[in-house]
Amino acid sequence: MKKTLLAALIGMTVMFGFNAAGYCEVGVTDTEIHIGQWGPQTGPAAAWGAVARGTDAYFKWINANGGIHGRKLVHHFFDDAYNPAKTKAGVKQLQEQTGIFAWVSGVGTAPGLAVKEYLLERKIPWVGPSSGSRHWVDPPEKTIFNVYPLYLGDAQILTEYAITKLGKKKIAIVYQNDDYGRQGLEGAEFVMKEKGMALVASVPAAVTDTDMKPHVMKLKQSEADAVLLFVTPGGVARLIGTGKAMQFEPQWLSTTTCGDFPLMMAITKGLYKGVISASFGMGQPTGNIGELQSSDAPALDLLATYKEEVYDKYASKDERWGYTFSTGIGLSEPLVEALKRCGRDLTREKLVQELEGLKDFKGLMGRITYAPFDPEDPMCRIGQNEIYLQECMDGGQSKILTDWQETEYIPSGE
Amino acid sequence: MDMKRAYYEDVRFFSSGAVVFWFAALIIALGIYPFVFKNYYVYVANYVAINIMVVVGLNLLVGYTGQISLGHAGFFAVGAYGTIALMTQAHFPFLAALISAGFIAAILGFLLGLPALRLEGPYLAIATLGFGVTITQIIGKIDLLGGRQGLHAPDLIVLGRHLNTDREFYFLVVPITVLLVLFARNLTKTKVGRAFVAIRDAEIAAETIGVNLVMYKTLAFAISAFYAGVAGGLYAFVLRFIDPELFGLFMSIMFLTMAVVGGLGSVMGPVAGAMLLSWLDLELRNILSVPYLGQWLRQLSEQYFSLTGVSNIQFIVFGGILIFIMIFEPLGLYGFWIRTKKYWKTWPF
Amino acid sequence: MIDLMQMIISGIAVGSSYALMGLGMVLIYKSSAVPNFVQGEMALLPVFIAYMIIDTYGYPVHVAFAGALAFAVLLGCFLEFAIVRRAKEPNVIGLIIITIGMEMALLGLVSWKFGADQRTMPFPISSYDSVMVGGLYISTLDLLTLTVALVLMTGLFLFFRFTKFGVAMKATQQNEAVARLMGIRTRRVKMMTWGISAMVGTVAGLLIAPTIIEPYMMWDPLLKGFAGAVVGGMTSLPGAVFGAYIVGIIEHLFGGYVSIEFKSVVAFAVIVIVLCVKPSGLFARHYVKKV
Repeated sequence: MKKTLLAALIGMTVMFGFNAAGYCEVGVTDTEIHIGQWGPQTGPAAAWGAVARGTDAYFKWINANGGIHGRKLVHHFFDDAYNPAKTKAGVKQLQEQTGIFAWVSGVGTAPGLAVKEYLLERKIPWVGPSSGSRHWVDPPEKTIFNVYPLYLGDAQILTEYAITKLGKKKIAIVYQNDDYGRQGLEGAEFVMKEKGMALVASVPAAVTDTDMKPHVMKLKQSEADAVLLFVTPGGVARLIGTGKAMQFEPQWLSTTTCGDFPLMMAITKGLYKGVISASFGMGQPTGNIGELQSSDAPALDLLATYKEEVYDKYASKDERWGYTFSTGIGLSEPLVEALKRCGRDLTREKLVQELEGLKDFKGLMGRITYAPFDPEDPMCRIGQNEIYLQECMDGGQSKILTDWQETEYIPSGE
Repeated sequence: MDMKRAYYEDVRFFSSGAVVFWFAALIIALGIYPFVFKNYYVYVANYVAINIMVVVGLNLLVGYTGQISLGHAGFFAVGAYGTIALMTQAHFPFLAALISAGFIAAILGFLLGLPALRLEGPYLAIATLGFGVTITQIIGKIDLLGGRQGLHAPDLIVLGRHLNTDREFYFLVVPITVLLVLFARNLTKTKVGRAFVAIRDAEIAAETIGVNLVMYKTLAFAISAFYAGVAGGLYAFVLRFIDPELFGLFMSIMFLTMAVVGGLGSVMGPVAGAMLLSWLDLELRNILSVPYLGQWLRQLSEQYFSLTGVSNIQFIVFGGILIFIMIFEPLGLYGFWIRTKKYWKTWPF
Repeated sequence: MIDLMQMIISGIAVGSSYALMGLGMVLIYKSSAVPNFVQGEMALLPVFIAYMIIDTYGYPVHVAFAGALAFAVLLGCFLEFAIVRRAKEPNVIGLIIITIGMEMALLGLVSWKFGADQRTMPFPISSYDSVMVGGLYISTLDLLTLTVALVLMTGLFLFFRFTKFGVAMKATQQNEAVARLMGIRTRRVKMMTWGISAMVGTVAGLLIAPTIIEPYMMWDPLLKGFAGAVVGGMTSLPGAVFGAYIVGIIEHLFGGYVSIEFKSVVAFAVIVIVLCVKPSGLFARHYVKKV
């Protein structure tokens, strides 16, 4: 009996000793860091799947350049078809069977919300949910780090610009009938109220709507001279096209979601020219308002590096160099930066600490800043809080209209 | 081989000692399952069990009464929203909320059953489909239910115990599933079940021998909706966040597919169908990680198709399996089972 | 008043593509007695083939469209010959599941080959130009769709009325056993019906394509076409066309005057009401099943 006990004791000591010598954090070994991500590769939302593939190519590039302090990034991404039940299944499987150190990006509000609690309970860091929903920062959570600028901010800055710079009086909005569109509506209404004005029309659109004539008629009846478009790129194309067919051509303004000008020009057959959109990266205001930039032939150093080094070398040949792909890079940059700052001795606690220490971190997107955790202050987890406006020109070039603009956060329930 | 000599033999709960044995074995297996398998598989089991509930209920309508429904995601949504709303707004305890939501779904099922009295085939299909897509639009319009921005599930407390993990939730979902499946099995042996079958096989003949068509057809809709409602209420707690987009037409189609692939007009068939297809639906995402096959598929994609769309192979495999099963066996998995059983019992003849 | 007229015109415009999808469904329902859920994807694949012919091989649009239509006929025939016909002891609901299976497989195939990116099809007529008639805007593409739909419907009508093959089809649909006794190769007729149906659907698809093509583009027209066909009676070709236009017009009137949010589902509510009054639709004769 005693012998058995002794043997057990020795066994346990050896095990603990081994653990102490190796890395006891889940998903980190001497040579690897396991990072997880979900993103729809199939189903109606599959166009956003490029985010995950962008991150994948970016990680491959980092590994090829020596990894992070001698460790390679192992990127596990799976297809959830934008179905929260599948997101939850995939996250659980990877977390429990492979062991994931941290999660990055992950497309969609509903899929993200389905796994939010699970990740929080286990205190697993999650950086850069790929949607501008307020849910990620309100209430702020210790381990969720937002990167994507909020849809609310898009709406505020676009409305502000239309009123003050363009001198528009009658502003309308077409919003997709979900979290994305509703927050756009809220942001626009907030600014209008501040100015003592009201939207002349707010028209809901379903994701599946392919016939936009009733929507355009509503807009036309309201005689709006500027219209905010909080819908998908396909919806924007149909709305602008139908508008042209019905000779209704106000100033269209759209969100970061539709900021990929070459794509938008292609699917609108050139009608996107003159449309103003918000943007969180890809191009950059360099201080010269009115400057022309093209994402196909990037003028900016960092963007050009990513195109040549990441896209050309590690993306599959049928991948498109576009906004969605580069968003996948941009959303994971803060994580990589924080991992670098952690040094060789990597734990989740340390990662959170280093992320909190990011101040005006500048990668592909705008400046990203976090602060030590404060449950009362959404700003400590908001990350990027600035966007700029651009106008679509011939050939999908963008004309920079404003410098980076910060937004005031609207708390929920106001 | 299953010769029955008396009516009571047919309605008996266990038709033979062997069945008692297998039933006991199943209960034990279900009891130890969550302790043997990893947490992820317990989650999968919960998900599958919920699908089983819906599909067994749907089968009472489609398989036994001969009515088609492409709107069960609607009842599912009503159950999910009803349960959460009753808990958060009216402060019902969980089980009361779940059952009440089930009854709300049943009432809607009864109402949908009324126009369905006059409809059949594609007409009924499109009417139920319309119900399914309309109900989620209506829910999206109600701000009390979170509207389009969705709704978070509250803490789950059953009989004073907090159920937080998948394992704890398993012991709530699986007993309910077993109960509902047993109830469905017994229902089919009663007067009600026989009336359903009579309606399916010959409506007018059934009416002439005194089956009340109005009552039994609407009853079939109501019972079936109740199953979907209860399942929906539990589903809300599997995801813990729901929004109207979840309960789309595709979900209704999947439910119908599970029932038919399992085998209409039996109870165990739909159970098998729900298990196979919901498991495939979850697991096919890993098809590219299968050794050899995955690499081969990637090569194939690179040469002839596209690597960005390679995940869509899931759809091809899933569709292919549906076609394969339905071409060779109109009774679905249940048909395969019967044939195999016959083959072994009569071997070598 | 001008708004009302505009809504009706727009409803008719969108109804044309519903009508073509509905026609395709009715053709197959009459010959194989199955609501055909693969109707949309039977059009989707040829549309993408046309896109590929233009985009990858650089042929002009009319060549690509002719190729797509020919391919559609082959695809329809193939699906009937290789899959639907092989079903053992088919029942209606089993056949429905088979069409759903084919739908998934074809959708998967298209997405696999072309990815999920949105594109547009080069097309001689701009999808965003319009002509103005007395204060009403009619987009030129809608005008073309309407014309093509009417021509195709007339063509189908003449085909069923006056050609030998069309009469054989009608005979098969009315009574298959007797038709076979009369020496009609009913299986071949059925196969051709699927081919023609796929072609009709593809015409609708090609007329939607100039706006945006993506793998899920046929889903909405399919459902609305199905709805229209059911309103019209599922077994009547003019009924399907009429029903589809009704669905289109109601959608627009409802969207304009009542609620734009419920626009896409109002059609189904109308259907339930119509069916309560006439259980087999507006145009089909109601057969009471005998014991």
